[in-house]
Amino acid sequence: MENTRSNTPSISPAAVVVTAVFLLVSVIGINWFATFVPVVLPEQASAESKSVDELFYILMIIGGVVFFLIQGMLLISVIAFRARPGDHSDGPTYHGNPLLEIVWTIIPAMVVVFLAVVSYNIWTQNSEPKASVNMVDGHSIAINVNGARYAWTHTYVTERFDSDGNQIIINSGAELHTYIGQNVDLTLGTQDVIHSYWVPAMRVKQDLLPGDPAKGGRPTELRFTPVRVEGRSYPAEYPIVCAELCGDGHGRMRGTVIVYEDESQFLAEFFEPAIHAILNPPADPVLRGEMEVQNYICNSCHILDRLDWTATTGPSLNGIADRAGERVPGQSAEEYIATSIWNSGAFRVPGYDQQMAAFGPDVVEAANVMSPEQLYAIVAFLCTEGESSDCDMENAGTAIPNAIQTVFGYDVDITFGMDGGEDESAPAGEQETDTETDGESDDSA
Amino acid sequence: MATIAVPLGAQGEQQETEALRRPALSEYLRWSVDHKIIGVQYGVAAFIFFIIGGAMAMLIRLELWTPDLDVMISGAAYNSLFTIHGTIMIFLFIIPMWAAFGNFVVPLQLGAKDMAFPWLNAFAFWLIPPAAVVVLLGYFVSPAEAGWTSYPPLSTLFSGDGQTLWALGAHLLGISSIMGSINFIVTIFNMRPPEMTIWRMPLLCWAVLATSIIAVMATPFLAGALTLLLLDRVAGTTFFDAAGGGDVLLWQNIFWFYSHPAVYIMVLPGMGVLSEVLSVHSRKPVFGYRMVGLSSMGIAFVGFTVWAHHMFTSLQPELRIPFMITTMIIAVPTGIKMFSWLGTIWGGKIRFTSAMLFAIGFLSLFVIGGISGVMLAALPFDIHVHDTYFVVSHFHFVLFGGSVFAVYAALYHWFPKVTGRMMNERLGRIHFLFTYIGFLFTFFPMHVVGMLGMPRRVAVYVEAFQPWNQLISFSAFVLGFSSLIVIYNVIKSYYHGPIAGANPWRALTLEWQTTSPPPATNFVDDPIPFEDPYGYGTEASAAYLDAVDEAFSGAAPAEGGGH
Repeated sequence: MENTRSNTPSISPAAVVVTAVFLLVSVIGINWFATFVPVVLPEQASAESKSVDELFYILMIIGGVVFFLIQGMLLISVIAFRARPGDHSDGPTYHGNPLLEIVWTIIPAMVVVFLAVVSYNIWTQNSEPKASVNMVDGHSIAINVNGARYAWTHTYVTERFDSDGNQIIINSGAELHTYIGQNVDLTLGTQDVIHSYWVPAMRVKQDLLPGDPAKGGRPTELRFTPVRVEGRSYPAEYPIVCAELCGDGHGRMRGTVIVYEDESQFLAEFFEPAIHAILNPPADPVLRGEMEVQNYICNSCHILDRLDWTATTGPSLNGIADRAGERVPGQSAEEYIATSIWNSGAFRVPGYDQQMAAFGPDVVEAANVMSPEQLYAIVAFLCTEGESSDCDMENAGTAIPNAIQTVFGYDVDITFGMDGGEDESAPAGEQETDTETDGESDDSA
Repeated sequence: MATIAVPLGAQGEQQETEALRRPALSEYLRWSVDHKIIGVQYGVAAFIFFIIGGAMAMLIRLELWTPDLDVMISGAAYNSLFTIHGTIMIFLFIIPMWAAFGNFVVPLQLGAKDMAFPWLNAFAFWLIPPAAVVVLLGYFVSPAEAGWTSYPPLSTLFSGDGQTLWALGAHLLGISSIMGSINFIVTIFNMRPPEMTIWRMPLLCWAVLATSIIAVMATPFLAGALTLLLLDRVAGTTFFDAAGGGDVLLWQNIFWFYSHPAVYIMVLPGMGVLSEVLSVHSRKPVFGYRMVGLSSMGIAFVGFTVWAHHMFTSLQPELRIPFMITTMIIAVPTGIKMFSWLGTIWGGKIRFTSAMLFAIGFLSLFVIGGISGVMLAALPFDIHVHDTYFVVSHFHFVLFGGSVFAVYAALYHWFPKVTGRMMNERLGRIHFLFTYIGFLFTFFPMHVVGMLGMPRRVAVYVEAFQPWNQLISFSAFVLGFSSLIVIYNVIKSYYHGPIAGANPWRALTLEWQTTSPPPATNFVDDPIPFEDPYGYGTEASAAYLDAVDEAFSGAAPAEGGGH
């Protein structure tokens, strides 16, 4: 040990020069690399994405210097300090250099402090609550996102009211409609497992956490503000992705953010037509059912070619009306389809697990609430799905309501409350049957 | 007694092979309390699991060749595939693999005759086969499909019985890990020779000590979490069920309080291996020995304060900042190690043995994992890449580019000591080349697909990502192929490799100052450690190594080797 210091480290001037050149090249290289940022990251479609990408740029510069420094020193080492053939001697007995060790402790510590400060600033700037959020036509409205295996549902609780004074709720399914400059503030909730709402183009992500449904779940919040992307034509579309493993269909749990150019385009192309459709639904039960069924998450598990549904978790709905009459002995096609929606556990299609959520007038999850009239329309729609429907389509207006009455004990207002006289009595009738059917529905469960 | 037949007809080796007294292969299939037997048992078992888990990875990459679901029959089948892949690689490969090298090497490095508790040591190993059976059976029942992280309620209310078996298996493996770690701690503190102070202890022992302290402190939390999960699954409790007053984040907190430190359980022994290999094969002392040893302890300590960065997208926003800061701090002790290793080889006389190649490969890949680790710690950027392929890339850089490369370095380095024969260096270099290139092109592009918008744990993805995924899959197949080379090399070298002799690398640590393989009691007399385990380049060390060579050259081991 006495000659520990006899050999000084063989850091030659040449090696220092090479290292310096390497550092210089790395800094230039990283700047060149920065031109690839748009290639490795999606478009910058939100105000948040710009600051996050700035942070990424800083991280790339620092990371690049570290990368080139260490790989460069490694490269120099393996070339310069390789044992020459025939050289069986040992290297210098050099045990360390306290000053150097202090330097390479302090400098990385300073770098991470710097990064922490930068990150903290960007974080607080991005997560700061905005003054006016979700502004639509002069009102700040609530936009809710519901996650369910395996679909997103967006609902807009508008400040518009129908003729009964009920607040109109727009259900836009897997699409989030917004416009440039709107401070979006989403309230997220899940009705089964944890999901994660990710919009890559906005650089935002938030998990949806299961909570006690009786206490309104465990809502989480997500904020972003869409900005204009040069070269894009509007409305522009960006994907929504589920980022937390949620089961079989996790990979196809997707949605779309549709960004309009400004509020007037948003109102004209999405909001007002949606309100109009809700206020003036088609009277024909089949057309109405086609509209209603798309407000639910059926597409997350079922195939239905007519509506481009492709999911395979549950049985296919193609041609369902051809089979519905034979599934359960003693049940008509109308009764079978109605039962399969409101009381989905009653019959399990062979080869499939019972995974379907509960739908009906009394379910806790807002997204799954379904009135007898909506059920009537959806059954009518599904009764047309097939070549030789088992349903009595000639008398759909009586056969389906009778089936619903038989199975669940609910009366159906087949005019959908559009007939002036029935308007008042429909909700009243519903309430009546509500109480009297409680016992009955227990029987059927 | 149990000497084994060496290959006949190997002329010229005849005399030397007389000296090669190895335990019979049947010894390895029996209960044994010899730490060297147990070490090999751990190692071979872990490597078999590595092959099984690797085959699953090949299936995963085959599925991802196209954007559609075509190889697996359902998304759920794909989910259980990567669940079992992760579980095998973590609990049945990496952790037992380090127990293998720890078991074989640490008592030898300490000049001890065995571990402090030989029976406990054997018991810890023999828990692994039944645990593996339970985990793998679960795959054939109704598989666990919630990922190795098993977040409730997916793993409680929405999964089949395989999830229960998964939790039981993980429980057993945790018990095994705790017992093994207690054994290491007691051994390292009590069984050193009087000359070897803690500051003269080889750095692998430092690393195993730090690892064991983490394992003893953290694994009980895994046990707690798994117990709650099992109760929720089979006894109707609602610890993780919000409808019954439970909380899903409870699991995430307890699970990551174990599983983040577990990341260091998986990589710290590899860092210990690096210190050994880099120093021996570049013929130069470890640069800043004390700081390398202490930084292991620093990582162990800070590692307990960072767990919630795994929950950046679920944690209450105001709690995220503190965990960002602790996570960034852990880069500092890791950086100390990186720079110290560079300082170690800088100016040395580097021998490009296969062990050294893998050690250098570790350095060059681990730095990428470290950089992406700091990027992930930066909260606003993490929010974008959380739960994406960026994360998959990051942890494979540290666990494959780090731990597995270190496993290979350790294999090439200590194989001569374990078997008495050298591995084939030419095959070793080919193995390194395929592994390094295959690895880089498998895992580096994953950063990009992750940032572009591909989440992890999906069997289907949008078509735009297909070229990236095909590059990744192709490289993964190259990487998978590379492990066949090392299997061939191990088997061939076991029977036909050149005789190693006691100290083929001229290393100063004590495991080399005895025959290869060592006799049942490890050393004939109490070994005297050299004053400095890494004091290469001095006349004293050369004299010490020459004396060792002389003592063991050609001579049969003084005591009837084998077992």
